[in-house]
Parts: sequence; C-alpha cells; structure tokens
Amino acid sequence: MSVAPHRKPARPVIRMIILTVTALCVGAAASFAAIIFVELVSGLNSALLVAPRSRVQWERLPWLIILATLLVPTLGGVIVGVVHRYLSPERRPLGPPDVIRAVQFHRPLPDTRSGIISTLTAILSLGTGASVGQYGPMVYLGALFGGAARRLRADVPNLDGIAMSCGVAAAIATAFNAPIAGLVFAHEVVLRHYSTQAFAPVTVASATGYVIANVIFERPALFLVEFPGVGHGYEFVLFAFLGLMVALAAIGFMLLVLACGPWMAGLIANPVLRPGVAGLAVGLTALALPDVLGIGTETLRFATIEGAFGQGELIVLILAKITLTALCIGAGFSGGVFSPALLIGSLIGALFWTLVSGAGGIPTSGVAVYAIGAMMAFASAVIGAPLTCILIVFELTRNYDITIAAMVAVVFSNLVSHRLFGRSLFDIQLARRGMDFSKGRDRAHLAELPVRDLLSADAVTMTPEDTPEDVAGRLLDRGWRQAFVLGAEGQLVGVYSPSEGQQPATLTFEDDTNLADAMERMRGFVGDAVPVVMREGGRYLGAVSEADMVSAWLDHVARIREEENAAL
Amino acid sequence: MLRSSFAALWIVLCGPVSAQELTVATWGGAYEAAQRQAVFAPFTETTGRKVAAVQYDGTVAALRERGGPEGWDVIDMLADQARVACAEGLLLRLDAPSLVGRAAMEDFSPRASTRCAIPQNVYARVMAYDERAFPGIKPTRIRDFFDTAGFPGKRAIQRSPDGILEWALLAEGVPPEQVYGLLSTDRGLRLAFRTLDTIRADIIWWDDPAEPGQMLAERRAVMASGFNGRFFDMATRDAAPVNIVWDGRIIGTEVWAIPATTDRAQAARDFLAFALRPASMARFSELIPYGPTRKSAFAQIGLNPVTGVPMRVHLPNAPQHAGRALIRDSAWNAHTRDLRQRRFEAWLDQEE
Repeated sequence: MSVAPHRKPARPVIRMIILTVTALCVGAAASFAAIIFVELVSGLNSALLVAPRSRVQWERLPWLIILATLLVPTLGGVIVGVVHRYLSPERRPLGPPDVIRAVQFHRPLPDTRSGIISTLTAILSLGTGASVGQYGPMVYLGALFGGAARRLRADVPNLDGIAMSCGVAAAIATAFNAPIAGLVFAHEVVLRHYSTQAFAPVTVASATGYVIANVIFERPALFLVEFPGVGHGYEFVLFAFLGLMVALAAIGFMLLVLACGPWMAGLIANPVLRPGVAGLAVGLTALALPDVLGIGTETLRFATIEGAFGQGELIVLILAKITLTALCIGAGFSGGVFSPALLIGSLIGALFWTLVSGAGGIPTSGVAVYAIGAMMAFASAVIGAPLTCILIVFELTRNYDITIAAMVAVVFSNLVSHRLFGRSLFDIQLARRGMDFSKGRDRAHLAELPVRDLLSADAVTMTPEDTPEDVAGRLLDRGWRQAFVLGAEGQLVGVYSPSEGQQPATLTFEDDTNLADAMERMRGFVGDAVPVVMREGGRYLGAVSEADMVSAWLDHVARIREEENAAL
Repeated sequence: MLRSSFAALWIVLCGPVSAQELTVATWGGAYEAAQRQAVFAPFTETTGRKVAAVQYDGTVAALRERGGPEGWDVIDMLADQARVACAEGLLLRLDAPSLVGRAAMEDFSPRASTRCAIPQNVYARVMAYDERAFPGIKPTRIRDFFDTAGFPGKRAIQRSPDGILEWALLAEGVPPEQVYGLLSTDRGLRLAFRTLDTIRADIIWWDDPAEPGQMLAERRAVMASGFNGRFFDMATRDAAPVNIVWDGRIIGTEVWAIPATTDRAQAARDFLAFALRPASMARFSELIPYGPTRKSAFAQIGLNPVTGVPMRVHLPNAPQHAGRALIRDSAWNAHTRDLRQRRFEAWLDQEE
C-alpha cells in the first residue's frame, strides 16, 4: 500500500491533460498490442496445424495431422515450462489477479520482464493449442502499458491505477470489439469503484481501442447471430434455471482449476515438465475430439447450431474441456480462463436445450439463445463480472433479444456462485494469497496493513525486578498509564499500571495481525495501547497505541473515499 | 519517291502492327463480346495497339500448353486458377501499385491484388426462383432454399460440392466470415450434408451452367443455384420470370494476369493499367452483369446501351443489395477440392 506522503496534486487543468493523454497513449498502445497478440496467435495456429483451416489442407496426410496434434501442444508446453523457469524472474504466468492486486493496493505490477515473458508464453500456449484463454493475458498486456505511467511521477492521485485500467479497457474493447464492455470490465473487475476521475479516462481508452479495432483495422463483430426473439414467456424461467445449473458447473470448474495446480505440483516435481505433460494430454484428447484444441472459435459457433453435437458427445466434450483447461492452467501454461469458460458454458447451454426440447418436449426458441445465455452465465461466474458479461453479449451479437435472455441467466448464475463459491475465480485466488475482497475494498486495504508497522517507539517496558517508583517515573515522563512487563527472554508477562498493579494482558496482537482484524478485536478494549508479540514464542515486539490505530484507519478510509469520489 | 513512300507505308502498316498487337486469352461468348466493346476497342483507340482475343477453357493446363506457343500476353483467369499458376511460375509478378497508382489500392474490393493477379470483375453464385411458382410469399433468404415445406418444389443444383455446402451452413445461420472455418472441420461437413439431406428428394442436378435457368424456364425446378449472369440473361430475354435472391450470394473474382512467356510485357502492363481503370470496368459492367472490383467504378455505371436496363442493381457486389455475401476463398477451395469431392460422392452414394 502506498504509504508515501500525500503530495500536493497538480492543478486540475494539468491533471485533465495528463489523464487524457495517458488514456489516449495507453489505450492506443494496448489496442495495437492486442491486435498483434491475436494475429500472432492465429498465425501460429495456422502454421502449426492447430486451426481447422490449416489442418484440412493436409487431410491427405493423416500421419502428419496426428503427429502435429500430439507434438505441437507437448513441445509448446515444454518450451513454456523452460522459458518460465529460466527467463522469468516470477517463474509463473501473470494474469488479471496480479493487475487487480497492483491497482487495488497502489503497487507496481510484477517486474516488466516477467510481464513480457508471460505475454510471449501466452502467445505460445495459445498458438500451440493449449486449452487456455486469450483474454487474461491480453488484460495483463494492457495493464503492462498502463503500468508504465507510474514512471511519469506526475502529481495526479491514483494515476497508475487509472492508467492500468485504461490499458485493460482498451485491450478488452479491441479483443471483443466491445468498447462498452471494456469500460465496464475495467471498473467491475479491476478498479472496483466508479469515480469520475477514473471513468472519463477509461472511457477515452476504451473508445480509442474501438476506433483502432473498428475504423483502422475493420474487424468484424465476433459473434453475430440471427435471433428473431424469445418465442414463449415461460422460457425466461428456463433461462433462470439454466443460470442456476450453469453456476454449479462453474463452481466445479473453478474448484478444479484451483486444485489442479497443487495436484500437478505433487505429481511432477519438476515445474519445467508440467506444461509439457498437460500439452500431451490435450494432444491425446484432440486425436479423438479435435474441438478441445485451442480457443475453439469453430466449436463455439457449432454450439449455437441445432444438432451439431449429439447429447453424449456434448457431455464428453464438456467434461474434457473442463478437465483439460484446469490441467493446462494448473500445469503452468500461460493463459486465462475466460475463453474456455465461454466454450464450456455454451456447450452446457446446448446440452440443456437438448434435454429441455428433446427429452422434455417443451417448445423453445432454438438452441442459440440457450447456448449464448449459458456461455455468458458461466463466464460471469468465473470472472465475477455480470454487467460486463451482459454488455459483451450485446456488443458481440448486436442482438437485443438475446441480451435480455442472457441477462436473466447471468444474474442467476452470479447469485449462486457468489453465495456458494465467491465473487470470482480471481478473488478466490487473491484471497488465497491473503488479499480478501469479499468484505469490501476498505477491509481488504486495512487487512494489508500489519499493526507492527504502527508500533510506538516510546512504549514503556519493565522487568519484574524494576521498582514501582522507577516505572511510575518513566510512565509519567512519556505520558503513558501502562507499562509492559517482560520476562527473562523478552516475552510478555503482563501489563502493569501504578493503580492496579500487574495484570495479565487482556488483549495482545501477534506480529502478523493486520489493522482490519485489530480494529475488530479492539471492541470493548480499555487501555492505552495493545502489546504486539511474536506468534512463535511470545516475544514482546512493542505496543501499538489506540490513537495511532484510529488515525491509520481514518487515513485509509479517507484515502479510499477520496479515490472513489474524485471528480478529476 | 514512290518507292520510299511505299516503304514508309509498309513500315507503318506491318512492322509496328505485328510488334504492337496484343494477344489476350479469355472466355469467349457474350463475356468476350462485352470485353471487346468495353475494353479492347477503347484501348486500341487510345494507344493504337490492336488486341487479338483467343479463347481458352480457363484451366492452368491450357496456359501451360498454349500460352507460350500462341504468344499470349494477357490472360483473364479465375482467382484460384491464377493462384495455382502463380505458384507454378507461369505468371509474371505484378507490381499493382505501380500499375494502377498507389492511391487506387484502397479502392479494390472485396479482394485485393495478389502477387501475380489483379481483380478485374466479380460474378456470383446465387439462388434464383421461378416467380410463377411462388405468386404469394416469395423466398428471400438462403434458408428458404432448404425449406421444402414452406417452398415446395424441385431445386436445381450443380452436381458438385461447390457452393452448396457453403449454403447449407449459411442456412443454419452461420455468418459468412465463419463458413470456411466451420467447413474445414469434420463436424461442419457432416452438418452441411445433414442439411442437404433435408432436400435430397427434391434435387435435380445440373452440370452445364446454362441448365439451371433453362430448368426454371421449363418449370422443371422452382429454385436453382447458378451464376447471376445466366439468370439475368434469362430474365432480360423475357424467357422466364426468374428472380434472383441476393442473400447468400457467393462472390467469386476474375483477375487479369500476364503469362510469364510474353515478350511484350510492357505492352501487357499498359493494357492492364487501362483495363483496370474505373471507366473501363464501368463500361464492361453496363454490358454484362459482372461487377467492378473497384468501388469508385459503381458511380459510373449507367444503363445498358442496347436494352436500356439500369445495370447497377444486377451486379453481384452492388452496394444496395441486402443479405449476406460470402466472398469465395480461392485458397480454401483449391486446398479442399479433393476432400469435398470425396465426401460429396460418398453422400451421393448413400442415395442408392
């Protein structure tokens, strides 16, 4: 957390200029980078026989296809493993959780070299057909450009957080050709508040991304669908039910993703080999089910076509894609979860439709709306961004009726997954690293501040041998009413006050206690200060005064309030 | 004196003529007639170079065998054939920006020029129907081609996987940009043939592109797949009330190229530069319903000089057409020809 002293901010006009120029530059850079990213991945997919269009060229040489299917993801995995191990200081792929952490706690991103390596390995992972997503790495890439704004040292409060959000918004706006979704995603997932100061530049960046993607490169909308409208009123109940079902599947998927990392680590000691093994698993599965390879643009479309898959085929494909994605991410392939989530969700939607209309015999408005509703419901449970997902449907399909239907599925899915699992996979990943946003940003911020940083230098300590007069004198000197009694090894024995004598301490904090917990535990506490001791051995570290804690708490709350309400 | 004048005349008449005459290989028929009137004659008028047309069957084999001996200087080809010929080294490399001007490169649509070929006009495989068969509700989309309940009757289709597989997926709601990607998968092919299954009993096959129009006129079919020029011809000759549905049109490209064997490369380049002017394209499109490959040519297209028909509306890439257009991917078509043919024949065999 930035504990640097508050510098006096620049004049509003200067701030406006700095923010706008930053938004334009970061937006343009992130947008171009996202386009290059997508082009490189699709180029690799074509060259390495991952894309169906290049595979079909060689259909007269089946052995070549088999060889490519097995070797390309395996070797891709091996290279990713080696590069992470020997070239990246962080030794792991970076993604949206790292961006959220940096923006929320006003910290720099992990080092740039790790970021660039992570982007390159993401291109390689996606290019060689690993079952991972492309949007996570693109979000990180966008934030990487925003992170450079930190070097500006301009006197604009929260500039680096806003600049990173600009990069994220532009990357999403370009990748999905969806500027509104980019804008909302940056707020919903990364910034987690809506202040005018952040909203305006992020909008500028998002629009810049849109202009570059649409006007300069003329990229088409990603997922146009023909859909005349929902035919029956009761289908909205089905959409809600679909959302509930999808949420359960999404929770299973997320738990599997979280479990796969430790499981792979236990199975294969050498981290270099893990992605290679996961790649081989993808290749072997793809021999029978080529749909699991890569991003699966074609498969996503098939899910919206009636009868493209048999019922059994759908179940096998859903299970395969869930398992392989968890495996690839757990093994250390660089990539996100969003694209696989879209694919798995749409397949679940298709399966749901088959059951309802086939086995259930209920007339429906076709498979497309169920596939798309489930697709977004699944994705929104995973990334914890219902508004973004609703808007992405709108911008991807350019179809109002489908958006309304998908909206219902999305909120019900979010409701269940938030209640049973957590706000998103990112949040749970962060919580496991000690950053818990489930009780709000202010609590997460306070939880990042250990009380041992607030120790008072002049707290009075004594040993049992000290005379009461001596202690009383020292207390009077420093204006304290209590002294902390230490044993022979420096451990805390009790609290001494001239009026009440020595008492056992009613409240002690440990070296890892944070401000949020401390404030909770202070309820009902009477006294000057709380002693802080080592959790191991109970050695006394110092004392933190009630006044210092309250002012630290007030400072943080004020800073957050300022950030959330800043006009410029 | 007389002798010297005679010699001068001889030089004027013969020498330059044999050096300047340009041999253009093209398709013959009404197409060639339109080219003569719209491009060859004005070219001779402006430059003094005569143009001799020779007919060929459009294959790379013909270029390989006849191009050199017959002294072909310019060739009119289908884009996919040009791609193959270029790879074999049968065509000269072209520097399109220097031929038509750098600014004009943006004007080319839907296809840009390739290494050896520059697009000159576009045609389309379209769906047409007999007005008499559907006096009430008329087919408007490619999906209606596969809807035998809503629009009963025979469908005339080319006995080939070309075009019909693309239509089967377009009918399923697949956007044009994704059609070739989906058809590259086994699942996509199965899906296309499944759609084709639904009209199996109502298909009559054709082999000659002249047949589908004829079949509509003779009421042997109520809908047909065929080339837009043929249907246009049928309708303007008042032979039958044939209507074209522009949704799902598959747009193919004709290109100009220069055979590698030419010894008049500069003259050939001059010809290309002239033929690729918007004015030349517009004159050509006024005579025959093949669209220009430059956007700016549309503004100059007026009435057919003979029939007085406004031609713009009949061009496959006219900007006012609604519905989806699939731009034929010549590379994909070349790569998957065998596979599609094999699957198509297997599907036909299931019939028996």
